[in-house]
Amino acid sequence: MKAHWIDWIWHVRGSLPLAPGQSGEEAFGRLDPLFRQGGTTRSRIGDTLTFTKKDQAAQDSMSVFDGGVLQIRDGVVGPVLHYRLASRALLFCFLAPLLFLAFAQLTVALGRWEKPAAQAAGAHKQQKKLVELPQNPIDKMLGSPAPEKPKPDGKDGEDDKKKASPTSAYVFAAMFAVLYVVGRVLEGRLVRSLFRKELLGTGDQPPMALAG
Amino acid sequence: MEAVRVGKRLIGAQAPVTVGWENIPRVEGGPLKRFVFTWFQPTMLFALILFWYYVPNSIAKTSTAVGIGIGFKVLLLGLEWVNPRHRSWRLTWKELVTDLFYVGLGYTLVRLVNGYIGSGVMTKAVQHAFDWDKFTWFMGMPLLVQAFLISFIFDFGQYWMHRGMHNWYPLWLPHSVHHYITQLNINKGAVGNPVEIFLIGLGVGGFFDFLPRAALLAGAIGMAVSTYQHINVRFNTPRWWRFVFNTTEHHSVHHSQDFEASRSNYSGTYIFIDRMFGTCVDGEAELLGMEGGRRMSIREQMTYPFTEGWKAIKDRFSRPAEVMPAE
Repeated sequence: MKAHWIDWIWHVRGSLPLAPGQSGEEAFGRLDPLFRQGGTTRSRIGDTLTFTKKDQAAQDSMSVFDGGVLQIRDGVVGPVLHYRLASRALLFCFLAPLLFLAFAQLTVALGRWEKPAAQAAGAHKQQKKLVELPQNPIDKMLGSPAPEKPKPDGKDGEDDKKKASPTSAYVFAAMFAVLYVVGRVLEGRLVRSLFRKELLGTGDQPPMALAG
Repeated sequence: MEAVRVGKRLIGAQAPVTVGWENIPRVEGGPLKRFVFTWFQPTMLFALILFWYYVPNSIAKTSTAVGIGIGFKVLLLGLEWVNPRHRSWRLTWKELVTDLFYVGLGYTLVRLVNGYIGSGVMTKAVQHAFDWDKFTWFMGMPLLVQAFLISFIFDFGQYWMHRGMHNWYPLWLPHSVHHYITQLNINKGAVGNPVEIFLIGLGVGGFFDFLPRAALLAGAIGMAVSTYQHINVRFNTPRWWRFVFNTTEHHSVHHSQDFEASRSNYSGTYIFIDRMFGTCVDGEAELLGMEGGRRMSIREQMTYPFTEGWKAIKDRFSRPAEVMPAE
């Protein structure tokens, strides 16, 4: 199976026509500040720019990408910037639901394994002393509800069941699945808008922490 | 770089740190915005205390607390959007996903491990080993006193565990990776190696028997104060609050790239513990992290304490024996 059947998962591709009259040289010049960031290496051969990022700062506007290729080719109406960017964060987010589903399965398996031991210990729990809980007169006067009497039928057992619940793992698996879809769409749009702004020369100033 | 002397130490010699409340910016904007961001923190704290004090027993449950905790965090994420403290700390998709991964680990894997060897098990073991019936008087104290004592004892233990992490290399290794964060956002408190998350969770809050409602109140106080350690929101925090409680400002100093500044403000909730032991620095910092702000990947966060620990052990045992100089 060729990689490009699945590499859309962590690759963002796109193209942008250059401004009328803008040369490839000028375009790369305008995009250059994006690749002059900590942890970024870049090399340019002719009309192709290749970059890689390692341990890039969270404040880097292309932080989500770890590498990529930008190329300027002639289109029907003029030069066009084509880009193909790779993101380990996108791949990670795509795989994260599987990891959390595995955690859920592990929780279920441990719960099953523990059940016989819990049942054996059940008899001991019945012997637990049932002392009525006190309430301070100040709290009584201020109207706080009186503490409930402890239930004799093993409330601890319910707590144990809760502890072994795989629900939170399922919730996180779903959350990462949604986040992947959001990220795959959002990051593609954001980087396109970033390139467009830089090419037109209307890009934002870097945040203070980076400028310093 | 101009450093400021605080007690015996020089703060801000390696990276910029603003020292002193008078030098910290205030909330900017219209009267409504300034009103909201001045009164939000105390209002939430007192509202939560009142809620847990008066709520009927049928609602006073851990599941309610978990629900409120999640709702509170979502609300604070909204505030980060409305009134960010620093533009450089803005939450991106990648940062959100990374942070949520650690939050997810806390709710699943770490919780699973904690069920076997965590603080709850340790507390039960200690309670079984002694005749704790002698301490049932604790339950007879006013609820708020119980709640304060539970949270204070826990925070006191956490203060020393945290200070220990900054002073003893084997404990520093699992904690160090948390200091590679370069911005503060709501879920950044969860970022770190799971070993550290487990260690910091070990506290001595519950050796006494206490009323369930007192524990819920203690949890609410902790949540309504310590959540602000990691947040990108500018508040006009009241004077009395920042004297008693930890704030974003204090914790940003703790995460500063300046080494001396990072060795301050160890408590999670009660900053007066730092004041008691001379480790409090009132101020704030924007440039955070280690190694000049290098962002550490999740993979490295998971392995770093072990690889660095292995290197340290190898260095120690492979040192050549000292050669005596020839006479």
